Amino acid sequence: MLKATLRSFLAHKGRLVLSALAVVLSVAFVAGSLIFSDTLSRTFDRLFASTAPDVTVSPKENLDEAIPSGMTPTVPAALAQQLARVDGVAAARADVGVENITVVDEDNESVGPTTGAPTIGSDWNPTERTPLELTSGRAPRGPSEAMLDAETADGKDVEIGDTLTVIAAPGSFKVEIVGIATFTTTNPGAALVFLDPESAREKLLGDPAAATGISVDAAEGVSDDRLKQRVATTLGADRYDYRTADEQAESDLDQLGGFLDIIKYVMLGFAGIAVLVGVFLIVNTFSMLIAQRTRELGLLRALGADRRQVRRSVLTEATLLGLVGSTVGLATGIGLAAGLIALMNTLGMNIKSSEMVIGWATPVAAYVVGVGVTFVAAYLPARRAAGVSPMAALADAEIAGVGRPLRTRAIVGGTVGALGAAALLGCVTASETGSAASLLGLGIVLTLLATVIAGPLLVRPVIRVLGGAFPALFGSIGRMSQRNALRNPRRTGATAAALMVGLALVGGMSVASASMTDSFDQQIDKTLGADYVIQNTNFLPFPQEVTDAVRDTPGAGLVVRSRFTPVAVRLPDGDRVETTAAAYDPRLDDVARITYAEGDTPAALAAGRMAMDRDFARDHGVRVGSAIPVEFQGGRTTELTVGALTDQDQAEGFGTQGGLYFGLATLDRFAPGGQDSALYVNAASGTSADDLRTNLEKTLDPYPQVQVRDLADYKELVHDQIAVLLYLVYALLGLAIVIAVLGVVNTLALSVVERTREIGLLRAIGLARRQLRRMIRLESVVIAVFGAVLGLALGLVWGVCTQQVLALQGMKALAIPWGTIVAVVVGSAVVGVVAALLPALRASRMNVLAAIAHE
Amino acid sequence: MSTPAAQYVPGQASADGIAARARGLTKAYGTGETTVLALDSVDVDIARGRFTAIMGPSGSGKSTMMHCLAGLDTVSAGQVWLGDTEITGLKERELTRLRRDRIGFMFQSFNLIPTLNAAENITLPMDIAGKKPDEKWLDQVIDTLGLRDRLKHRPSQLSGGQQQRVACARALASRPELIFADEPTGNLDSRAGLEVLGFLREAVDQLGQTVVMVTHDPGAAAHSDLVLFLGDGRIVDEMERPTAEAVLERMKRFDVTKAPFDAQGPPPGAIPTEGDGPSLDKD
Repeated sequence: MLKATLRSFLAHKGRLVLSALAVVLSVAFVAGSLIFSDTLSRTFDRLFASTAPDVTVSPKENLDEAIPSGMTPTVPAALAQQLARVDGVAAARADVGVENITVVDEDNESVGPTTGAPTIGSDWNPTERTPLELTSGRAPRGPSEAMLDAETADGKDVEIGDTLTVIAAPGSFKVEIVGIATFTTTNPGAALVFLDPESAREKLLGDPAAATGISVDAAEGVSDDRLKQRVATTLGADRYDYRTADEQAESDLDQLGGFLDIIKYVMLGFAGIAVLVGVFLIVNTFSMLIAQRTRELGLLRALGADRRQVRRSVLTEATLLGLVGSTVGLATGIGLAAGLIALMNTLGMNIKSSEMVIGWATPVAAYVVGVGVTFVAAYLPARRAAGVSPMAALADAEIAGVGRPLRTRAIVGGTVGALGAAALLGCVTASETGSAASLLGLGIVLTLLATVIAGPLLVRPVIRVLGGAFPALFGSIGRMSQRNALRNPRRTGATAAALMVGLALVGGMSVASASMTDSFDQQIDKTLGADYVIQNTNFLPFPQEVTDAVRDTPGAGLVVRSRFTPVAVRLPDGDRVETTAAAYDPRLDDVARITYAEGDTPAALAAGRMAMDRDFARDHGVRVGSAIPVEFQGGRTTELTVGALTDQDQAEGFGTQGGLYFGLATLDRFAPGGQDSALYVNAASGTSADDLRTNLEKTLDPYPQVQVRDLADYKELVHDQIAVLLYLVYALLGLAIVIAVLGVVNTLALSVVERTREIGLLRAIGLARRQLRRMIRLESVVIAVFGAVLGLALGLVWGVCTQQVLALQGMKALAIPWGTIVAVVVGSAVVGVVAALLPALRASRMNVLAAIAHE
Repeated sequence: MSTPAAQYVPGQASADGIAARARGLTKAYGTGETTVLALDSVDVDIARGRFTAIMGPSGSGKSTMMHCLAGLDTVSAGQVWLGDTEITGLKERELTRLRRDRIGFMFQSFNLIPTLNAAENITLPMDIAGKKPDEKWLDQVIDTLGLRDRLKHRPSQLSGGQQQRVACARALASRPELIFADEPTGNLDSRAGLEVLGFLREAVDQLGQTVVMVTHDPGAAAHSDLVLFLGDGRIVDEMERPTAEAVLERMKRFDVTKAPFDAQGPPPGAIPTEGDGPSLDKD
């Protein structure tokens, strides 16, 4: 029996190629993502472990910064001298490392990374742990000399002797590049500018006595833990944060971890799509192979093979396919990881492909996914094969597997669909975001399942309509292609399902994102009253110097500053909420329109007052007049009285839970040192908005990190942010479509083989090759469009439900991007045409006589 | 009764009265020493308005001859005409159009497209050509074949005999110059087979069609006007107004001379006497 299985596997290898390709793709993405993230983790692990000092003393971090406030917390630099005298300390250094700076060249172009990675200003005080070494020029001396890292210098054509401007919080200054330093380890992607230690403190922190941290080296024989203890005892355990080398490396890795995790999850998302869509392909292939082999299986049964043997034979074939696919997939995954590493290197990192890490988990996961998916996908077809009666050996092969009733599918699909619909209905009517989101997730999964199960039942009614015009448009050819698509609803359903899954995702996401975009637009229209907003593209804060320059711009009238700051509030119901609050200048009403439930802007921004979102206040028992204890960054606390309650659509979201804001003076009093995140500017009377724009743009020329935006530009910026999300979805869709095309090709190719005699007959009675190709193409198109229509219908439902959940967050607009939807339907027709190319060519090349004689 | 083979003399070709003809028709398979000649320089004329049967033992080349005459297969050498059109040398596209517009086909089995109903199958060649069927003629064909109440049925809902009748109707529907029937009764029981043969006969006698039928059933051949006997890729004999007995007798001689160890013996009780049938002398 095993021999027979092997023979059959080899005999059908051509037909298994496309299924194997689906396995290869899924496994490649799984393996590639694991290898890539393992390699990256180890690289950075090594980097941080080798560069972290034995003990680090850093400013106490009482609150997490969800949105940057622009504050650079410091410690006294003198702590270094104090610690140097502690027993067990070999050396202690005051360090400077400032992330939020901008460095521009003589043309006012930023030399920083374009990837969103920071530009770091630091002191040059090399030790054996410094991950860079001076490779040309010399170390910087004095406040007008600096050193740049080699990758940035190469990338931006900066040479020794060039003058750059460093825009730092205390003010911008010019430096001459006197040296270039090269990373001896991996460059995490940042741009680095080094000054001599004294200048760094003075110019970057604005305080010669401050440092961003103290590095402490242990004397021989003193463990890091012991040293940390001694340092903490000396300085006071609660005053600063203390970390050993291991803890510091871990904390650094955690910060980078978010980025690594994103890459990993995106890759796993691709793998998931590949697996999901691949399953349909494999199920379909095996179903078709078994339908074609019904007579052969019947003969085996007639000769005495029992059901178990038949089933095992099919499953063995599937396992073989899985093993081959996984092996090729693993190899492809290694290639994929190498490609990603190369991509990272072009983005400024320095990871050696030769140090690629392939942990034991990678091949295990590859084979578990590859073999597991194939086995599971082949299980149902295998059971069906085992059910073939010995009589099938005598019957006509075409009948088998076609006419079986779909009643079970109808019942299961209907039930799951009803549950899914109920979940979606629940999500639409839910009033709380948390439960609505989980109901939405459940509803999406259930309705997807239901559509996949009941897909074959929808084939007849939907394709009757979709292909309804075919007979009129294409005559007999159209009629035959439409009916061919209807011939085996199960097969058509499964083929279209692959496309459906991808397009349902796209449909849902595009509705959600269009609704978000519209909501933001409406929100911006409703609230933004300023002529211009001056802001960083990444919403990062900028130095005071920029604000001063804007104020001094000719024609600038009112300038209202806005800042963000992390706060913790203790609420009357006992909850402590850590969130981000905003702070504004008093004349906020002239640049923004805020709807208040109670109170007004002056009441909110007055000294000792704050504003809060009405719903948040209600949930926590806050009323106008409530005194709320507020803790600021740096540890100072005060009580602020709620002066106003706002009634805004989008008060919350993006880490600004509670919609808290107060006067900028209040913030400066309790947490000084922050930077402005946005400036709202109105033209002075007598100056036109256009003139102001020209003037502002001239003023801001030396500051490439901030831009002037009017209402339309501001919307554009928000659209771009949402578009990033969409690009990811489109990439996912791309993969899903590739696999779906494979599925359609697969189905058509096997159908063409099955219909060899029919094709021969058609050719004999005068069907031209061109007409035959058109017939197959039309069938392919109708299957693809069927998948698209089903997917988009499902996606629309998901999108509308998602919008309902978003509405709870204040995004109340519902937008359906009809353009995208029409484009997807047209695109799916193109997909159908492309998928039909090879099968149609193959069918038209068939020898007429051989086809007629085909058994 | 016997006709001299004069009509096979090369060069003699009357455009009128000849539906198809071949000169030096040769079909070889394989190359070099393994070459097999399926047709060995055959000359043949198919008379218009007649029912011609082609007979011969397995491997005699009868199907190959039909395929070559019908433009389904390419020839190795020689020429084939359909009416006045030389089809040897035609391009694939022209051959397809020729089959579609000027030839009707009936095969042994799998004659119909399963997704189309009887009416759609009947008009398929014309639909493919984008032509409107001649409704009067179509009605006549459908009524002659007794398919009026079966038109909406799919092939799977029809019996084997009904399916062959639909195939016959399709072959007739476009009023082609020539109908080729490849073992049209091979898969039918004797009653249904007789019915189909009766219709082919009627198509010739009443509708004025020209039919060429390949068969190995002497009973089927007996319905024709003329039987051509093929052996080893040549036309070895012919028989006008054949009877089943005479054809069987002639075939038996193939069995004896060409296939002495053929398992197929003559059926018992069918031993005609010499001279009883028409003269079957080989030349």
